[in-house]
Amino acid sequence: MSLNGRDSSYQSKSENGIPLHRIQGLILPLIFIVLWEILAIWVDNPALIPRLTAVLSVILHPFTELVGTGSLIWNTAVSLFRVMLGFAVAVVVCVPLGIFMGTSKFIHRLVNPLVELFRPLCPIAWIPFAMAVFKTTTVPQLFGIRYTDTILDSVQIGMVFIIFWGGLFPILLNTIHGVSGVRGLWIETAKVLGASKARMFWKVIIPAALPDIMTGLRVGLGISWMVIIAAEMLPGSDSGIGYLIMYSYELAEMQILVACMIVIGLMGFALNRGLQTVSNRVSSWKALER
Amino acid sequence: MRNLSIKGIQKQFFTPPDRQIIALDQIDLDVRGGEFISLIGPTGCGKTTLLRIIAGLEIPNSGEILLDGMPVDDLHRISTLVFQQYSLFPWCSVIENVMFPMEMKGIPKDERQNRAEEYIALVGLSGAEKAQPYELSGGMQQRVAIARALAHDPEVLLMDEPFGALDERTRHRLQNALLDIWKKKRKTIIFVTHNIDEAIYLADRIIVMTTEPGRIQEDVLVDLKRPRNRLDASFTELHLKVRNSLERTV
Repeated sequence: MSLNGRDSSYQSKSENGIPLHRIQGLILPLIFIVLWEILAIWVDNPALIPRLTAVLSVILHPFTELVGTGSLIWNTAVSLFRVMLGFAVAVVVCVPLGIFMGTSKFIHRLVNPLVELFRPLCPIAWIPFAMAVFKTTTVPQLFGIRYTDTILDSVQIGMVFIIFWGGLFPILLNTIHGVSGVRGLWIETAKVLGASKARMFWKVIIPAALPDIMTGLRVGLGISWMVIIAAEMLPGSDSGIGYLIMYSYELAEMQILVACMIVIGLMGFALNRGLQTVSNRVSSWKALER
Repeated sequence: MRNLSIKGIQKQFFTPPDRQIIALDQIDLDVRGGEFISLIGPTGCGKTTLLRIIAGLEIPNSGEILLDGMPVDDLHRISTLVFQQYSLFPWCSVIENVMFPMEMKGIPKDERQNRAEEYIALVGLSGAEKAQPYELSGGMQQRVAIARALAHDPEVLLMDEPFGALDERTRHRLQNALLDIWKKKRKTIIFVTHNIDEAIYLADRIIVMTTEPGRIQEDVLVDLKRPRNRLDASFTELHLKVRNSLERTV
């Protein structure tokens, strides 16, 4: 009874006004924005700290041509496309490799030393190497096509390579962890219920390891996104949100630079949220299991 | 229904450093088709190992499993095992768990579904088809595990202390449910337990095993009409007899 009473009074309160916990997360960002604006007015130099109105106007006109590099949308799309391609390659390579390493001790012993050797190497350390080896060769050029007049012309192999390295270890290590952590009891249960090796793999090992694999994909995509920005800042690139940051710095167009940073943050957030939603759906049993 | 023969099963384990444990030493056991057998014995007597050998999860060092005198090449096909631990696949709903063994056999989906619903009804869980394992109590999870084992349609149903983790009331209720199912489906059941009361209540015969090396000490016939009354003089007499036999094993 008393619990019910408390509940209803809480309800009526929230009907009158917005409860505090709802807006709690907005308080600090708002303070940050206000402080930024005060600082911008005080410094009074748009080449150093741009006013928020200028930044907002860049974000609110995403189709406007910016400093001769294409629109904000276009540059974001180019970056996103590069990330998706490199990430896809990482998934296609690392998930099966992780499954093999997680299920076969032989393959694990064979591959693991190499993995441990490369693991401490930050993906960014590969950038100069990739630039030297792949130069500015695009993906269509790899197949002998000079120009396709599509977004593919902006996707350089070197960048795909860097993104691949960004996604590689989180995906690989989480997949190994997930697959080798499948409980013996489940495997024996499937055996005594007549599961063949192939069915055991698809119906027990994969679903049991899926929550960990999804965690790997989420972390991997996050790192891939971070790494592309760094890769695009290097000489030789001509588009992408990371390139736009560097280029607007050179032109002292700080409002574009800050707008790009906001877009990068929002995109990373959205990518993570998207995968989180998928992950929650396939992993709900793991969270609720006793 | 075929008779099961366990002939000269021997199983050794090696534990470092160079210690050899004879888990099972020349086990011979004949089980009539449709018979309910209880295996009882102290911890370490190899009753679980014997069950795992019949289930095809362990390979004996010597000896064989025969059905009507013929060697069995695929034990997973003729038998299945219900574990003591909760073994439902947590990513599958109740009905998906029960459909699992039928899926392994390639039975079409509609038929799987219908038969799974029947098995779920048989263990008294109609209406819980869509539930997830973690939403069920321990007793309900073991009911689903039994339904899933039945869906495999084994000739021999092996049970390794399946009610060991349950409280007494639930345990009694599941014992009655199991006897009911056994009457309807006429399976050969080998039931491992360390609970004398449970063994007498359920089984046609109780096999008492000794430890180090694991051997059959005594084969006790439970000549009591079902349903059995735990308060009957003949029940308690048998209880003492099995207890005595067990005391001698230690």
